[in-house]
Amino acid sequence: MSSVLIKNEASLGLKLVAPAVGIIGLLVVYPILFNLYLSFFDVQLNGNKTFVGLQNYQSLLSNPDYYHSVGVSVLYLIGTVIGTTVLGLAAAILMNQSFRFRNLARGLILLPYFAPVISVVFGWQFIFDPVNGIYNHMVVDVLHLTDTRENLIGNPDSALLVVILFDIWKHFPIAYLLFLAKLQSVPKDLYEAAAIDGQNAWGRFWHVTLPELRFVIATVVLLRVIWNLNRFEDVYLLAPNVETLPIFTYYQAFAGLVDQGTAATISVIQLLVLVALIWLYVRKVLKW
Amino acid sequence: MTHCKSLTLGAVWATSSLLFSSLSQAAEIEFWTAQTQSDRLQNIELLASTFEALNDGVTVKVIGVDENEMATQMAAAVAAGTTPQLIEVNSEIIMALGEEGIVDTDTHQAVINDIGKQRFHAGALTTLTSPTGSYYGLPYHGWIQGIWYRKDWFDEKGLAAPNTWQNIKTAAKALTDKANNQYGILVGTKQDSYTEQVFTQLALSNNAAEFNAQGELIFNSPATLETIEFYKDLAQYNPPGPQNWRARDYYLQGKMGMFFYSTYIMDDLALAEVAKGSLSSENFAELTGGTFDPELVKNTAFAPIITHKSAASYGTLSGLVALKTADSEDQKATQDFIEFLYDPASYITFLHMAPGGMNPMLKGIAEDPVYLNDPNGVFKLYGADKMKQIVSGFDDIRSFSVVAGKTFPASGEIFAKSVIPRMIYDVTIQGKDPQAALDAAEAEMKAIMNE
Repeated sequence: MSSVLIKNEASLGLKLVAPAVGIIGLLVVYPILFNLYLSFFDVQLNGNKTFVGLQNYQSLLSNPDYYHSVGVSVLYLIGTVIGTTVLGLAAAILMNQSFRFRNLARGLILLPYFAPVISVVFGWQFIFDPVNGIYNHMVVDVLHLTDTRENLIGNPDSALLVVILFDIWKHFPIAYLLFLAKLQSVPKDLYEAAAIDGQNAWGRFWHVTLPELRFVIATVVLLRVIWNLNRFEDVYLLAPNVETLPIFTYYQAFAGLVDQGTAATISVIQLLVLVALIWLYVRKVLKW
Repeated sequence: MTHCKSLTLGAVWATSSLLFSSLSQAAEIEFWTAQTQSDRLQNIELLASTFEALNDGVTVKVIGVDENEMATQMAAAVAAGTTPQLIEVNSEIIMALGEEGIVDTDTHQAVINDIGKQRFHAGALTTLTSPTGSYYGLPYHGWIQGIWYRKDWFDEKGLAAPNTWQNIKTAAKALTDKANNQYGILVGTKQDSYTEQVFTQLALSNNAAEFNAQGELIFNSPATLETIEFYKDLAQYNPPGPQNWRARDYYLQGKMGMFFYSTYIMDDLALAEVAKGSLSSENFAELTGGTFDPELVKNTAFAPIITHKSAASYGTLSGLVALKTADSEDQKATQDFIEFLYDPASYITFLHMAPGGMNPMLKGIAEDPVYLNDPNGVFKLYGADKMKQIVSGFDDIRSFSVVAGKTFPASGEIFAKSVIPRMIYDVTIQGKDPQAALDAAEAEMKAIMNE
């Protein structure tokens, strides 16, 4: 190719990419930078800003509640990521077998994922209501398993568990969907070869299925970590006393009058942590 | 042909200029109200439509915003430059917004001048006055809170009316039977404004305060600590877990002996239709919880005043707040709309949405025969004497914001940040040590005041 042609192609390429770069710059890069800028200010409602340097960071990092919510977030992440991945994998392997009404069953599994958060949350709250709920009615009045009524969602010790269970129930279908899609493309002869080598079902899973699914599993875990570190609505609607990082941010910054400086500070730290986590994960686990 | 063309152009020009002139006269009032129930919103819409019919070119857009969300929503609106012209919300939030410099105090002054300052209840106006003497809001309606209780159960067990700390505790203990899903009392333990309201009344009866007359923070005191400990004591008779104003449902179902509530409960107690509406959750329209007990209104008594070291009733005002706007047409229309809302005909229509719950802030309205003849007949059911007793708590409404006739707007910001409810939640639900929780709350209050 002549050098003129190469130059022309390059400039055409630039022109074609420019709108996308512009949009990303406007919608992604600019807010991040503005957020970073705001985190050094005390922002008032009428728009007045006072430069406070690192004060927002200092007061946040010296707040014991912040570390508490980091701890809650870590537990929430571990519980939900492992839970959805394992349950999604199990469901996908089950649904990859052939049986009658398989297509119907495959569809039904997706239902929790389709249902609007707000409606299922109220359903769960109704189930666990301490005075009128079905759970207490069954456990205390019908089955007589215990004498005392419990508020599983309200009690801070059990609330985290309920929130994790809710998230697993609500979001395992997306993991299931991704796993099932990949499972269907695993060549049958791999399993046949493993069977000839004398592998039982467990061995076939361990030596064929898992290596084949490796990248999908890694992707699911990555997506779940990103989503759940930032997940607000499920937790806040179901049990607002479970203070994961987004809920903590909400109480610090948006409950009552908005404190934009603090909010920006928290999200800057959260972004940095998330970027570091993902970088590590991509390098070490995905080996991209 | 050219003649014809210029004629058409002329007509277009004429219509468009007409259009523009009518646009320039058009004013829009966006009105945010804390009355989010659909029947109340319909009522307010009706008032708005009436006002529109009387005022050409003015549109009023009514939007219901949950009281707990009002401060946040306002902040978002200010940031986005879409501030409403008028809001109706409780006095704590009004004081917090007033300090943010977004409130149109000139319009408030103009309305007061037009209506006449002496026609307002003086205490109500004081509550919304800024430290410099301007008005952050206009008092519109108010309620008082007290303990509503099952008189028949109290009589059966020989219990005294729950008007002192000792009586409350004795009754709470006597009426609790958790094995049978029966509870003596409910005090708020969720991190919301109901908890703050219950706590405030008990704290005031123990002479605890946020500020002294010099404006110094005196929240961390033995009196406050004692109140927190008493509160924790009472919370053990609650249904399990964090609780809030849904206490009302448990009481209507006959599962609870006493609960703190405002005079808003009056129509729920008296009228089957209203009670049914309350019991069926807004999220489950088909769900009607339990049957209505027609004897409930007779078997219910009210203790508006709690006495420990001093007698305390607690109540709160809701006010109208005009927000600053650059558009003078909007400002004028907003002022007209506020004055329209104070006109006896529309005022009584508004107050009748919750007979007893919304009490008038203008003198003379309460004695108006039209006011006493509410469409549901609630005032008749209760009778004039009971009404008088209920409203008696209203003459001396106290709060943390007003000390010795002076207002402290910082208490509004403390309210908006839910410092007290979070403290109560930490103690009653998380099991945190009361003194440690109090220290933490005080530190937070100081941080808010220094901002």
